[in-house]
Amino acid sequence: MTSNSTLHILNKAPEHPRYQACINALAPSDTLVLIENGVLSAAGNQLHAPCTLYALKADIDARALEAACENLNTIDYDELVQLTATHPKIISW
Amino acid sequence: MSASNLPERNNEGFLEYATDWSSDVASVIAAEEDVSLSDNHWEIIEFLRKFYNKHEMSPPSNRLFVKAVKDALGEEKGNSIYLMQLFPGTPAKTACKIAGLPRPTNCL
Amino acid sequence: MSTLIVIDQAPYGFWTGREALDMAFSLAAFDQPAAMLFTGAGVNWLRKGQRPDGVGQKSAEKNLSAAPLFGIEALIADEHACQQYGLTESTMLPGVELVSNIRDVLGDHKHVVFAG
Repeated sequence: MTSNSTLHILNKAPEHPRYQACINALAPSDTLVLIENGVLSAAGNQLHAPCTLYALKADIDARALEAACENLNTIDYDELVQLTATHPKIISW
Repeated sequence: MSASNLPERNNEGFLEYATDWSSDVASVIAAEEDVSLSDNHWEIIEFLRKFYNKHEMSPPSNRLFVKAVKDALGEEKGNSIYLMQLFPGTPAKTACKIAGLPRPTNCL
Repeated sequence: MSTLIVIDQAPYGFWTGREALDMAFSLAAFDQPAAMLFTGAGVNWLRKGQRPDGVGQKSAEKNLSAAPLFGIEALIADEHACQQYGLTESTMLPGVELVSNIRDVLGDHKHVVFAG
């Protein structure tokens, strides 16, 4: 993590206008965490993120997306809190 | 178990958490409703517990409660008169309360 | 002519879809014919194997599985949206009817209500 790294927390499905706005704002040094409906972007290969990527396990399980998310790094709530604590800047989309 | 140490309930006497239910809880709530539980009652209670495990909801109305019982146990059990004799008042409400399910949404 | 309830939002993230399901079950409870159409992110309601314990909600899948039992006439899904979200017949609840053009479905019903 670099000092100018931003943590992006995305909870919108791909068809929500803010989803694309978030993807457009990603820099290679940033970290994107998919939570809530954000994890739906992993279904049907819709997700193209140019940076470090995590997805929240509880939201994947709720939506039965384990298979679609098998190549993603998953985190739990505690690890999400860790990420928010270690990034100097956070955007909640 | 007595009324004083029942699990948490709402203002109408339905359990807050269906997972808190036990057959002892059923007997105490049934006594409050002046229902003495027979095998015929337990058959319906068991049906409702299974229904809840499968669908995570109560039958949403008395009519749909009767229909669901009919689908599962046949015409002889799945009719209003039979169920009203077992569970007086609004059968769906009384039966769900005793079985530890949430209040049916469309029962007045 | 029945009422069509349209769900175009994903489960769990918002309450609107669940309110629409309640509406469909209420119609069924009063013997009013009703069908449901899933489109957009709403098709994610139909995926098999949902385990929402970790987010503290009831299973949309389990709730929805009661629909045929309560007399909901049809569960209809937008084929294009299913493709977008990687849903196939094997990963979807049984008994869902796929349509390629939702305009036809909207035209088939006297009342059409969107969730939220």
